[in-house]
Amino acid sequence: MTGRRGFVKDNALGLAFGGFFVLTLVGQAILGTADYNAQQVTNGLEPVSFLDYVTSSSFGVDVMENWQSEYLQFFLYIFATVWLVQRGSAESKEPGDEGMESDQEQRIGEHARADSPAWVRAGGWRTTLFSRSLGLVMGVLFLLTWVASSVAGWAAYNGEQLAEKQDPVSWVGYLGEADFWNRSFQNWQSEMLAVGSMAVLSVYLRQRGSPESKPVGAAHADTGETG
Amino acid sequence: MTGSVLGAGLAAAAAVLALGGCASTQDGDVRDVAAAFFDPTATPDARCDLLAPATREALESDESAPCPDVIGELPLDGGTVESVEIWGSNAQVRTTGDAVFLTETPTGWRVVAAACESRGEAPYDCEVEGP
Repeated sequence: MTGRRGFVKDNALGLAFGGFFVLTLVGQAILGTADYNAQQVTNGLEPVSFLDYVTSSSFGVDVMENWQSEYLQFFLYIFATVWLVQRGSAESKEPGDEGMESDQEQRIGEHARADSPAWVRAGGWRTTLFSRSLGLVMGVLFLLTWVASSVAGWAAYNGEQLAEKQDPVSWVGYLGEADFWNRSFQNWQSEMLAVGSMAVLSVYLRQRGSPESKPVGAAHADTGETG
Repeated sequence: MTGSVLGAGLAAAAAVLALGGCASTQDGDVRDVAAAFFDPTATPDARCDLLAPATREALESDESAPCPDVIGELPLDGGTVESVEIWGSNAQVRTTGDAVFLTETPTGWRVVAAACESRGEAPYDCEVEGP
């Protein structure tokens, strides 16, 4: 039985980022309302309430377009790091270890242990599915949030079309609009930059105590060590 | 992670329900305001009250006259409603002879542009419109 203090300390990373997430989402909602209303006044239209804004397509697309790119980032990174290495990077496996690795290294099949997850010990399709579950869930979350982003973006786009006295478009029509792809690529490029930077910078730079970094004294050529 | 999945799913479902629900209940309100605006028996005062404040101001400024004195001169053809589009706080009603754009205000839907003619990809050309 883990005590209350023990639970908080044991889950501090998840709890802290959960808290940061809520705070920043609330911040986005408050500042987003102010920004939206400034535009409304400029256009000679009525300001909207906080509740109206957070249930609007404008807020929805701003949130969803960021979520989808984060899940795409993790989905791609999880799969890419199976097959691609970066010599010297804390984010990479050792050169030569590219690929799915052996059952022994992955502790599956006859190498499963007593404390391995149930679906690992079950074998068959369950083990095959569980072996890819992290990437698959990230991929599914990416697709769901991307679709949500397209629906919210479509509604926001049509609101802007009407405000500018232009005809609205269908959802399929919106998928062919530059607005949708501009929003997508704008977010994707920043994720690719962040991941690429992390993979390369962790070769030469250190953060003492962080598992995202190699030990401070590790050689630049050491790959896959974490400190 | 389970929380995130549930959150994303619920947010998407709520967004879809909100879009569908709002559109269906507001369709009648928008249609009623457009019909009242086009009603040939409506008084000039009643028609002017259906204009959004900024649009009314623009009309009075352009014509240098009070709205009720000039609203009757607008080429409002009206006719049968062909389509009603509502997206957020903006709406468009197309009739057989006209198109109007509306916005939602604290006192209900109000006309922001009327007597509008389609110009394809370009914005509609409207006889009366706000800033």
